[in-house]
Amino acid sequence: MSKKSRKLIRATPTAEEAAEATPEPVEPALERTFFFLPDVEPTVVDERELHDEMKLWRHGRATRTFGQVFQDGYFVLFSIVMVGAMLVSVVLRAQAGMAGCNTEACASGRLLLPSAMVLAAWALALGMAALFGPVLASAAEGFWLMDAPISRRRLLRGRLVVPLVAAFGVATVATALVGALSGLSWFQVIAWSAAAGLGSAALVTLAAAEQPRERTVLLKTLQATFATAALALLVVVIGVAAGWLPVSVVSVAGGATWLFAGVALVALFGMLVLLRVAISRLEQIRRARLLSGGSLVSGMQGAMYALDFGLIRDILVERKMAAIGHVKPTRGRGLGLSALIWRDAERLKRNPTAFLGLAASLFVPYAADALRMVQLNPLISGLALVAGLVPFLGSLRVLSRTGGLARSFPFKTAQLRTASMAVPAALALIWGLAASPAFIGIASTGADHSVTDGLTAALITAAAGLLGAVRWVTAGKVNFQTPMMATASGALPPGLLFNLFRGIDMVALITAPLILGAPGYWSLAIALAVFVGLRGSFNAEDLRAEQEQAKRELAASKQAAADKQKIPRPTR
Amino acid sequence: MARKTPVLKVTNLMKAFGPVVIVSGFNLEVAAGEAVALTGRNGAGKSTVLRCLVGAERPDDGTVQVNGTAVSETNPQIRRDVATVIDDLDFFPDLSVVEHLDLFARAHGIPDADDAVDEILHEVQLVPQSGQLPGTLSSGQRRRLALATAFIRPRKLLILDEPEQRLDTEGVEWLADRLVAERQRGLAIVMASHDPTLVERVATRIVRLGDRAEVLVDE
Repeated sequence: MSKKSRKLIRATPTAEEAAEATPEPVEPALERTFFFLPDVEPTVVDERELHDEMKLWRHGRATRTFGQVFQDGYFVLFSIVMVGAMLVSVVLRAQAGMAGCNTEACASGRLLLPSAMVLAAWALALGMAALFGPVLASAAEGFWLMDAPISRRRLLRGRLVVPLVAAFGVATVATALVGALSGLSWFQVIAWSAAAGLGSAALVTLAAAEQPRERTVLLKTLQATFATAALALLVVVIGVAAGWLPVSVVSVAGGATWLFAGVALVALFGMLVLLRVAISRLEQIRRARLLSGGSLVSGMQGAMYALDFGLIRDILVERKMAAIGHVKPTRGRGLGLSALIWRDAERLKRNPTAFLGLAASLFVPYAADALRMVQLNPLISGLALVAGLVPFLGSLRVLSRTGGLARSFPFKTAQLRTASMAVPAALALIWGLAASPAFIGIASTGADHSVTDGLTAALITAAAGLLGAVRWVTAGKVNFQTPMMATASGALPPGLLFNLFRGIDMVALITAPLILGAPGYWSLAIALAVFVGLRGSFNAEDLRAEQEQAKRELAASKQAAADKQKIPRPTR
Repeated sequence: MARKTPVLKVTNLMKAFGPVVIVSGFNLEVAAGEAVALTGRNGAGKSTVLRCLVGAERPDDGTVQVNGTAVSETNPQIRRDVATVIDDLDFFPDLSVVEHLDLFARAHGIPDADDAVDEILHEVQLVPQSGQLPGTLSSGQRRRLALATAFIRPRKLLILDEPEQRLDTEGVEWLADRLVAERQRGLAIVMASHDPTLVERVATRIVRLGDRAEVLVDE
C-alpha cells in the first residue's frame, strides 16, 4: 500500500482542548497518530496467485539447490541404495525359498498373512486419517489465511494429495514386502499390494469426505472391523500351522488373487468418486479442525528432529487424554510405594485398548514358529512385546521425563522406577507363560525344544521385551551440548543415533545368547545387569555430583577451621 | 539472642550456563518459621537459585544444605522434607485431579488420605474439576493443583517460584493467607515473586537480587 493512500487521523485532544476540559494542571499528553485503512473496496484475491506467492517465498528461503544436497548427501544415498539392493536381494531369495514350501502351514501363511496385511493397512490408514485430519493446515496458515475472505476449497485442494499418496505408498510397499516374504507369485504380489494401496487411498478419501461433518462412527466401525479381521486371519494362520484348524486354503488361492484384483479396481473407482465429494466439501471444514492436525504435525516434526519417538507418543497420549477430558475418579489403596503400584493396576481398566496391542504381540511368537523362524523367534517376539508393553509404562514415562514429579515423591529414584515396573512386569510374566507353547514348538518344524528350554526361552523373551520397553520410555532427551560427531550428513550428537535403537538394543543384547545357542543363564545374567542399570541404581552423573559436593563441603569446613581465631593458652 | 538453626543453608552458590554466569557467590540462611521472598528484575537469577535449592540444577560451586543434608534431587530425605512448586512439575495425563492428590497423599504415608484429599480439594476450589484430567484444566487450575500437591504432604521447607502466577485475585488472597498460616506453624518458606502485595503479607525477609543473583538488599 502506498504511503499516499494512508489516512492519518489525529485522535488525541489538543493541549488547549484538554486545558478547557480540565482546569487542573495535567502533564502534556503525547501526540499519537493512528493508521486506518482507506475507504475503498478491497480487491478480490485469487487463491492460486496467493498459493504461488507462498511457494515463491518458501523457495526464496532455500539456500541450497537439490544438486548441492545430492552432492553433500551422496554417501547417505549410496548407503541407502546399497542397503536397499541387499534387502531386495534377501526378499527375492526368501520369496523363492518360501514359494518352494508346499506344506499346509506354508500355503495358509502364504495366502492369509498378506491378506491380514491388507486389512491391517486399511485399518492403519483410517486411524492415521482420523488422527491428522486427513486435511490439515499449519497454525500460521490458520492465523494469516483462514481469516481472510478466500476460498478454502481452492487453498486446501492440494492438501488432499499428500495423505492419499502417503497411504497408497506405505500400504503398497508394506504389503508387497509381506507378500514376497510369504512366497506369493509376483502376479499375486501385485494384486494384493494394489488392493492394499488403492484401498487405503480410498479410505483416506472417505475420511476426508467425512471430515467437514465431523462424524467418526462410520470410520471407527470400519477401522475396528478391519483390525479385528486382520487379527482373526493371524489366528487362523497360527491354528493351521499348529494343526489345530483343519483348514485347506490351497484350493481358494486362485480365486483369492482375482478377488484382490477386483477389490483394487473397486477401490480405485470408489476413490475417484469420493475424491469429488471430498473436494466439494473442503470449504466446510472448520478452521479448528484443520489446525488441530497441523499442530500435531508440527509437534511431531519437532520431536522427529531429535528422533525422540517417546515425545511423539507423549503428544499423542496428551491429545487422547484431552479428548477424553473427564474420568470417573477412583480412590487409591495402600500407603507408600504400594499406593503407586495399586494406582498403576487401577489404571489398566482405564486403558483397555492397550490390551489389544499386548494380545496382538502374543501372536508374533506363534506366527514366527509357524513360519519356521525358530532361531530368531526370541528377538522378533521380544521386539513385538516392547511395542505391546510401552502403553503400560505411562507412569514410568512421566516420572522419568522431568524431575519435578519424581522429586515430589519421598522415594529413591530406583524405588520409584521399580514400583512403576511392577504391573508391566506382571503382564510380561503372563505374556511369557502364554507364549511358551510357541517356544516349545507348535508347528512340528523339527526344531522343537523341551518344555524347560521352551519355558526358559519364553520368559527370557518376556524379560527382554519388558526391559526393552523400559529402556524406550526412560531414555533421556538428546543432549545437543555434548561434543558433536562428524558424519557425512554433518555434525550430529552421538545420542541422536542411539535414540534410533533404544529399546531394540536391550532386546538384542538379552536375546543374543539364545539366538547364538548359548545356555539361557547367560541371557538371564544380562537381563539382571540391564535391570539394575535401568532402575537407576547407578546414575554416574548423580554419583559424580555427590562426590563434587562432598569435596566442596570438606574444603569449606577446612577453610572454616583455618579461619578460626586462635586463642592463646593462658600462661602461668 | 542466639539465631535459630537454619533449615536451609546456602553458601557461596555459583551457577553458570556455558560462559554465562547466572548466579555468583549467593549466600542465604533460612530458619524455621521464616519466609524469605526473593525479588528482582527478570533474569536476575531467582529461578536458577530456586532450582539449585531443590536440586533441579547442580551448582557449579558452593553448597546447599537442608537440615544439614546436602541437597540432591534423588535423596529421599530431601524429597520428604522439601515441597516445591517450580516450573517443572509434570502431571500424569491419565490421572484425574483427585487421583493425583490421592496418590501424593498415600505416597507420603498420610493415614487419612481420603479426608485430606477432600479437605485440600475444597481449599483450592477444585471440587468441580475433581474428575477432570490435567490436560483439560485451565492454567490457573493447574497452578492450584500444583499448590495442592505441595500442601497435601509433610514438609519442612517450601520452595515456590512465582506461586501467584496465573491465579486470579481471589486465588492470590487465598495463597497469601495459606502461606502466612504455614509460616506461623513453623515452616520455612523461600519464594520468588513479582507480586508486592503477596511479598509484603507473607515474607519476614525480603532479599532483593541484582545481576548474577547478587544480594542488593536483605531486610
